[in-house]
Amino acid sequence: MLRQPITVILLSCSAACIPQGIACAAGAPAGPAEDGQWTMPAKNYSATRYSGLSQINAQNARSLHPLWTFSTGVLAGHEGQPLVVGETMYVVTPWPNVLYAFDLRKEGHPLRWKYRPDVSSNALGVACCDAVNRGAFYVDGRIVYNLLDGHTVAVDARSGRELWKTAIADMGNGETVTMAPMVVRDRVIVGASGGEFGIYGWLKGLDLKTGQIAWTGHNMGPDADMLARPETFKPPYDGGVDVGAKSWAGDSWKTGGAPVWGWISYDPELDLIYYGTGNAAPYDPEARVGDNKWSASVLARRPGTGELVWAYQFTPHDNWDYDATGAMVLVDLTIAGRPVKALVHFDKNGFAYTLDRASGKLLVAAPFAPVTWAKSVDLASARPVIEPAKQTGVSRGKVTGVCPSLEGAVSPASPPAYSPRTHLFYTSTNNLCMDYAAAHAAHLRATPYIGVDFAYHPGPGGNLGAFIAWDAASGRKAWEDKESYPSWSGALATAGDVVFYGTLDGWFKAVDAPSGQVLARFKVGSGVVGNPIAYRGPDGKEYVAIYAGIGGDWALLAGDTRSDDPTDVREPAEFMKDIARHTSQGGIIWIFGL
Amino acid sequence: MKRLQVLTVLAYTTLAACARSGPPPAPGGSQLPPAIAYEAHVAAGGIAPAGGVLTNPHAGDAAVAKAGEQLFSAMNCDGCHNLGAGGWVGPNLADGRWRYGGADAEVFSSIYYGRPKGMPAFGGVLGADGVWTLVTYIRSLPLPSDLPTESWEQQP
Repeated sequence: MLRQPITVILLSCSAACIPQGIACAAGAPAGPAEDGQWTMPAKNYSATRYSGLSQINAQNARSLHPLWTFSTGVLAGHEGQPLVVGETMYVVTPWPNVLYAFDLRKEGHPLRWKYRPDVSSNALGVACCDAVNRGAFYVDGRIVYNLLDGHTVAVDARSGRELWKTAIADMGNGETVTMAPMVVRDRVIVGASGGEFGIYGWLKGLDLKTGQIAWTGHNMGPDADMLARPETFKPPYDGGVDVGAKSWAGDSWKTGGAPVWGWISYDPELDLIYYGTGNAAPYDPEARVGDNKWSASVLARRPGTGELVWAYQFTPHDNWDYDATGAMVLVDLTIAGRPVKALVHFDKNGFAYTLDRASGKLLVAAPFAPVTWAKSVDLASARPVIEPAKQTGVSRGKVTGVCPSLEGAVSPASPPAYSPRTHLFYTSTNNLCMDYAAAHAAHLRATPYIGVDFAYHPGPGGNLGAFIAWDAASGRKAWEDKESYPSWSGALATAGDVVFYGTLDGWFKAVDAPSGQVLARFKVGSGVVGNPIAYRGPDGKEYVAIYAGIGGDWALLAGDTRSDDPTDVREPAEFMKDIARHTSQGGIIWIFGL
Repeated sequence: MKRLQVLTVLAYTTLAACARSGPPPAPGGSQLPPAIAYEAHVAAGGIAPAGGVLTNPHAGDAAVAKAGEQLFSAMNCDGCHNLGAGGWVGPNLADGRWRYGGADAEVFSSIYYGRPKGMPAFGGVLGADGVWTLVTYIRSLPLPSDLPTESWEQQP
């Protein structure tokens, strides 16, 4: 499906470089040739969200302007990102999970087809936090994605015909599906949301050709359920037989959450997939005494068999709803003069982690946002040094001044980008703290299993969010662009040294990768909670695409941004009273170019 | 606090189990199905379909409303509708506006039988009296004084 022969790509690279007088090779390591497409959620298996395209650069970015828009007809939060394969752009909407295929060759990009799956409206009452979808995966002539009501579908990329549809999750047990699948060889790898419904969290591997479920590995429970064998499961810390069950009081692991609603990455050399697990359920930690492994963790598995190889827990005994479902970005770094195959993760808990991705050993952990629940992360034990006063539980009543809030120092829905040219990571952040009062929760199947009363407050400085550049080798912030509102979009880095992100009040921004200086911005009609992509159009030019469409948690927290239901009128959020002044719901796809 | 809530849930579960052992549940003591009279149906036909009349045995009872507030958390209603019922992934129940009608009998039907887009049917687990307890709480919620207008400018 390569759109253009390699020679054309090389020509366009030279053409971009000559006028600037910059060498193409400067700072750019050898990697797979840039094909100008965006075929998987995070651009590549390593999840760097880095495009090798360089036509748009710091000198010309100011002339970026919108070239095309399309309303998806859906009002829920537009997380995720489009795909561009050959001359077609594919877009999955939030529930009802329509798949659009746009013809990029033609003026106005008319649809080639659209696919409208049969998806249950009951899912709207089982999904905790808006009816979002985080995108599709293209492989081998197929578009594969998940439906909110617990199905995975494969659709023929050319015709739009459904190839297979598999029930993977049970709404009767509180499971819905919002994550984007990962495909490795003949395995489609999927997980379920439901950390607020007390699910028994899992990851599944499906056969790409038939959709049949090949393996299911739980994120906690006895070793057999976790596909953990003593001879091959080697966690670098806190191992032991059946630790996934024994680290939970009684049988609380059976309803312990640990959902999979974020991103999956893959290292072909090590043949390992990496993914994060969500919060432990319920929100009252005293109902599940113990470390609660492997909630709020990163797990490494074999894609073919699902076998668990290692795991590391970022937040033992999660007291604060600190899901670890954010992206696990695989990059090769030099740390203290030593080359390291690293895994970098920005956690809801406020620490950015750099691990050795072969072993799971912790190398760097440093706060990238205000943190009060822990003093630090001890590198020897790899455990957080907890601040006792910030531990929660029913017996502790209201615990005040916990930073970050349970929205996270960054939302796992907002993945970072990494540029091999600047050696920096780029990520949205939130600057919110909270008061947290745990309450008893009764487990009733397919109803919320939460139990908390909470309130948010702005963090230090008063700005509610920021977009930052981060050096994962040293654990230091390189620069920060403060934002008035929590920053909830993913990041895109490009070889033109321009980084892109969107804001909750609806600005789409292009910034200078080394300095963070804003180069261009445009108000896109609704708050941005999606992830930008870059691609080369059929005309050989570089384009950037982004969804507008506020939602996700913001449909709940800032309910006054909704105007779609006269029988459901909400008060503004106490901690953010004026967001609805700047944005309202509405899903729109935007394409920008020079 | 915990014991009280668990006992409450147990009591309603037991009650529901009793109701299930007999003929189909008869909310409000009537053998007729409940009236369906929410706005969309009335507008479509002009006349509410015939049915039994549901009457809240606890209407206006502050003590029952208080018990209903506890039940609202114990049965995880707050997980979707928020503490205080101000709306979360489920709609606001404290704004005086109703998708399926706000009369006692209409709110009863919404909880007992469930509604589209994810409202589960709680009649089986709560029984009629449990549902009336929730109805009494929801109907007791104070309504905002000026709902339609949200302004960010100085008012004259």
